Amino acid sequence: MPREIITLQVGQCGNQIGMEFWKQLCLEHGISKEGILEDFATQGGDRKDVFFYQADDQHYIPRALLIDLEPRVINGIQNSEYRNLYNHENIFVSDHGGGAGNNWASGYHQGKGVEEDIMDMIDREADGSDSLEGFVLCHSIAGGTGSGMGSYLLETLNDRYSKKLVQTYSVFPNQMETSDVVVQPYNSLLTLKRLTLNADCVVVLDNTALNRIAVERLHLQNPTFGQTNSLVSTVMSASTTTLRYPGYMNNDLVGLLASLIPTPRCHFLMTGYTPLTVERQANVIRKTTVLDVMRRLLQVKSFAYSKFNELQLGILLTLPFSRRKILWFLLMLEQKKPSQAKYISILNIIQGEVDPTQVHESLQRIRERKLVNFIEWGPASIQVALSRKSPYVQTAHRVSGLMLASHTSIRHLFSKCLSQYEKLRKKQAFLDNYRKFPMFADNDLSEFDESRDIIESLVDEYKACESPDYIKWGMEDPDHVLTGEGNATGTVDPKLAV
Amino acid sequence: MDEEDQTKLIDLVKELVNRLLAESPQQQNPKNPNFEASLRYAVRILSSRLTPSIAPDAAAIAESIKRRLATQGRSSDALTFSDLFTKFSAKTGTGSVNNKWAVVYLLKIISDDRKSSKNAVNSSNLLPNFGLDGHGFSNGSNVSNGKENKEFGWRNNGVLMVSKDPENLREIAFKEFVNVVKEENEVSEEVIVRDVLYCCQGIDGRYVKFDASVDGYVLLHSVKVPRATRVMVRKLCELGWLFRKVKGYVSESMDRFPAEDVGTVGQAFCAALQDELLEYYKLLAVLEAQAMNPIPLVSESANAGNYLSLRRLSVWFAEPMVKMRLMAVLVDKCRVLRGGAMAGAIHLHAQHGDVLVHEFMTRLLKRVCSPLFEMVRSWVLEGELEDIFAEFFVVGQPVKAESLWREGYRLHSGMLPSFISQSLAQRILRTGKSINFLRVCCDDRGWADAATESAAAAGTTTRRGGLGYGETDALESLVIEAAKRIDKHLLDVIYKRYKFKEHCLAIKRYLLLGQGDFVQYLMDIVGPELSEPANTISSFKLAGLLESAIRSSNAQYDDPDILDRLRVKLMPHGTGDRGWDVFSLDYDARVPLDTLFTESVMARYLKIFNFLWKLRRVEHALIGAWKTMKPNCITSHLFTKLQHAVKLQLLSTLRRCQVLWDEMNHFVTNLQYYIMFEVLEVSWSNFSNEMEVAKDLDDLLAAHEKYLYSIFEKSLLGERSQSLYKSLFLLFDLILQFRSHADRLYEGIFELQSRTMESSLSSRDKSKSRRQTKDKSSEPGSWLSDGRKALTQRAGEFLRNMEQELDAIAKEYKSLLEGFLAQLPVQQHVDLKFLLFRLDFTEFYSQLRPNV
Repeated sequence: MPREIITLQVGQCGNQIGMEFWKQLCLEHGISKEGILEDFATQGGDRKDVFFYQADDQHYIPRALLIDLEPRVINGIQNSEYRNLYNHENIFVSDHGGGAGNNWASGYHQGKGVEEDIMDMIDREADGSDSLEGFVLCHSIAGGTGSGMGSYLLETLNDRYSKKLVQTYSVFPNQMETSDVVVQPYNSLLTLKRLTLNADCVVVLDNTALNRIAVERLHLQNPTFGQTNSLVSTVMSASTTTLRYPGYMNNDLVGLLASLIPTPRCHFLMTGYTPLTVERQANVIRKTTVLDVMRRLLQVKSFAYSKFNELQLGILLTLPFSRRKILWFLLMLEQKKPSQAKYISILNIIQGEVDPTQVHESLQRIRERKLVNFIEWGPASIQVALSRKSPYVQTAHRVSGLMLASHTSIRHLFSKCLSQYEKLRKKQAFLDNYRKFPMFADNDLSEFDESRDIIESLVDEYKACESPDYIKWGMEDPDHVLTGEGNATGTVDPKLAV
Repeated sequence: MDEEDQTKLIDLVKELVNRLLAESPQQQNPKNPNFEASLRYAVRILSSRLTPSIAPDAAAIAESIKRRLATQGRSSDALTFSDLFTKFSAKTGTGSVNNKWAVVYLLKIISDDRKSSKNAVNSSNLLPNFGLDGHGFSNGSNVSNGKENKEFGWRNNGVLMVSKDPENLREIAFKEFVNVVKEENEVSEEVIVRDVLYCCQGIDGRYVKFDASVDGYVLLHSVKVPRATRVMVRKLCELGWLFRKVKGYVSESMDRFPAEDVGTVGQAFCAALQDELLEYYKLLAVLEAQAMNPIPLVSESANAGNYLSLRRLSVWFAEPMVKMRLMAVLVDKCRVLRGGAMAGAIHLHAQHGDVLVHEFMTRLLKRVCSPLFEMVRSWVLEGELEDIFAEFFVVGQPVKAESLWREGYRLHSGMLPSFISQSLAQRILRTGKSINFLRVCCDDRGWADAATESAAAAGTTTRRGGLGYGETDALESLVIEAAKRIDKHLLDVIYKRYKFKEHCLAIKRYLLLGQGDFVQYLMDIVGPELSEPANTISSFKLAGLLESAIRSSNAQYDDPDILDRLRVKLMPHGTGDRGWDVFSLDYDARVPLDTLFTESVMARYLKIFNFLWKLRRVEHALIGAWKTMKPNCITSHLFTKLQHAVKLQLLSTLRRCQVLWDEMNHFVTNLQYYIMFEVLEVSWSNFSNEMEVAKDLDDLLAAHEKYLYSIFEKSLLGERSQSLYKSLFLLFDLILQFRSHADRLYEGIFELQSRTMESSLSSRDKSKSRRQTKDKSSEPGSWLSDGRKALTQRAGEFLRNMEQELDAIAKEYKSLLEGFLAQLPVQQHVDLKFLLFRLDFTEFYSQLRPNV
């Protein structure tokens, strides 16, 4: 009766990070590219059945659905050496193969069209598990398929599996560069609405930050998707270690997420991981000294041009995990401290051989130095989960750490999305592409407005969390409350509003 | 002496005198008048009773000669002399000299004389020394002259001259003395001496008898003897009294040998005493022989060497008396003692400055202790308690296997001889215990090799009787070697064969809930069952559920032996108990590990389990609550159709619920983190370290005890944490209460939700957009509008009630938590600042109460 988790990889980006994720999982569990357990992988003490199940011939099959509207990426997977890993029945490629054309509305609409097929696949997977814990959706919010079809899937899952958890790994577009997808702000906004309303937990993967990490930390001149995706897969696999290596606590996704998300709306999580390496760069990374780290820490402060960039993986540092490893890992939290922003929750998952007494020591240091700014309307603390490390993956570092945190400064990311949307919307640009689809037919753009309001209220709620009066927020001001809840459906019934 | 001999002797004397005088230049003639006088003188001397003032002991004389030669630096002469003397004294039979002593003595005297008159040229001065001038030898034979004569003799040459004359005054005086003595003494001294000798063998004599009233041998009152004799007899007979005592003890003990438990040490003691008595018997035999010789009168003492008088007896008895006294003291001391205690008591007496006593005691102790040391040896090397008489300082008692180590054997301090230190004794105890433990509980034979090895290392053989008193060092080194090896072997067996560490880990994983996934499934599947009243729960069914929890978690990969030991245990339940109150997991430790995991240890483990289980249940409940209020539940279905006031009410109720949940969850999670890091893991890592360095099972037991104690205390289960524990459980109960409230709240909200959805369905059908419904009241199916109003009202009421209830819970929770937190810093016995530190990480609570 494992708490099974079904992974849905939607769209180009979703399938790419998904593939990396499965690669990593296979490595960690000692599963070969064909899904066969390696001979050496007998003493792991790991739980493979959360993410895999076994076919009749005992080979492991990921509980994964590969969904795309255009065949390129999935064909790539099917031609890769991992082609035999996946269940071919779980691969869905749209018949016409035309993709969604970076149009959320197209993706959403096509999603509706193929709902039956996909839900059949999901039901089949769900029936195949004893106690389904929930779903993980990998997608990007900027494109067409991942965002549009992903949004549709979120709504459907929420409806049909309302008791199950829905977690997403959502890749946010790179906002530093001008994107080739001009309608990116529209897509992001519409997807964010679903992430806000229909997902239980959203792990925000910011491409901007990922790129910066790759460039600044890993010294890659032009980071490829593969390289940034391997960063993502590292984070994804690390955040599931407590599920895969059972310990005293945090053995299921609910347990992991519940403490991280005390208020339902604020369920957007940021991640940090250290030490970060990509295979090729391992040597460079390992030479890093403590002094170097200090310098890097200072450097990050000077990179304050974009507040939210610091949030996302921007705090990732490569540390020589010597004696003070945990402390240093926790120290980097300081970097994520814009003036007013506060942590709602923090969970650190430490993997490897750690003396449990060090944890306390480090926490004490952090508190003494007041390195972390927590919400004031309730008790909070840094949670630390110790987890085993895969015995099959040799790393240069004895200990590694992942941080999952809910931080109010994430609202800047949403604000940025909003402002970009506003800019575009003001110009009424590119709206025709959307009007082609039923949701926006008859020039009904209320969906945009509704989404905007919801994101705005989300930003407000995060802002409110920074004040000690969050408990009272939205109640003393009857007009304000509407942005919180009421406006979600647009105009208020005038009679009731009185 | 017949005539022939007599004349021969006379002739010889004549010849001798003649020769002596002839040597003198002026007197060659046998007709010399001097000759006559000298001859007469010589005859007189020869026939006199003159005896030298020393005892006739040829060996002593020879010895003194030898010594003199040696002191003069003529050691080779001394050797030659001793050689010659041996030959001389060995010569017996015809032709040999009868009176050897006399000859040697004569030679010595001559040699001495020569030395004293070295300057005298004439050696013939020897006889003339005696002063032959005649007037001294005038033979004044009348009695009145005798005295004067004697004085004269003294004055002359320092030679005592005693007249042979029966009319001699002395003789008469002696006779008179004898008469007086005879008058005074009804019985003669010989008889008394003989009686005393009898007494000394514990037999009543004719006159000297044991008198119970004075507890001693006394001369019969009817016998008329001088007071001095009486006292003397009394004194001498002390030996008899002592002998009686010792002998009595010995024979008494001997008699008891087969029937009663005198003990081997007692037997050895008796045997040693017997040996000492044997010496004594020998002495007595000699004395008795001597006692046969009549006591000469004072006047005739010269030629009766070996006789015994009371005085002589007292000299003879001096040494035996000391020994016998010691023995008697020991017998007295040991009468009630046995075994090691006896050896210890004797040992106390051995610490004596007197060499004689010390040696005697050491000899005795060697004998006495040998059985004891034998016991130690066989105990330490073979684990055998060869102690049928319960004399050993290790006492065994029949116990069940699981308590063999703790209760099977113990030190009997009364039997611990003082020459074995307490620590050595402990070590001895443990070593033998280890062997027995290995044999009985672990079914192990490998210890024998270890024992042999250790004996070899200690340089002692494994044969019996290899050790003795005085070799305490050897004993100690044997014990240390044996202990070292046996303990190591035992630990090896415990670790490797019986997988102690694995079992500890298993207990940590299952009983202390370390195996999270297993615990979770168990909680999931037994949860509904446990909500039932305790008396309706079937442990059979629970066992089945446990089995399936194992099968569906990673526990399934565990050693089947370990899983097999995992059981469900239902505590005794009272009325009104729910399954939650009585459910518990148990771990069957089995022999030999039940020595470590005793019932009381397991009881404490179960207590910890119950605490952790409850904590886990509360966490489970909170997570369950979160699942009902999870992000995509409420917010995805917005209450558009609700009255603003109701909406506010809803919002505020939900917020209240969420914030309260957050606070509770924070408490529970951090309590769990505390339990995990500061309690379980830290204790475990300490325990692991101590396990590494543990040298024997006692160390291991202590380490385990410490481990368990630290968990127990830090989990607030200890005696002194009762009040904390109580408030903690109140908090837990309140949280569980909260959960049911939250469930009810959300149930209500979902119901509300479905009603409002219903009410808006018709409008939705009409309009593509959900937001275009403007006025419900104008729609068809107007019961909805009425219903809506009522619904709104009901909703508002419901929400208000719920909020009030939540407020009440929040208030109670706050006060309880504050109480709990306030107690934390004042706990003296257990360091809870870590817990406080975690719970109040952001100083949220301390800011609430700035005065504290």
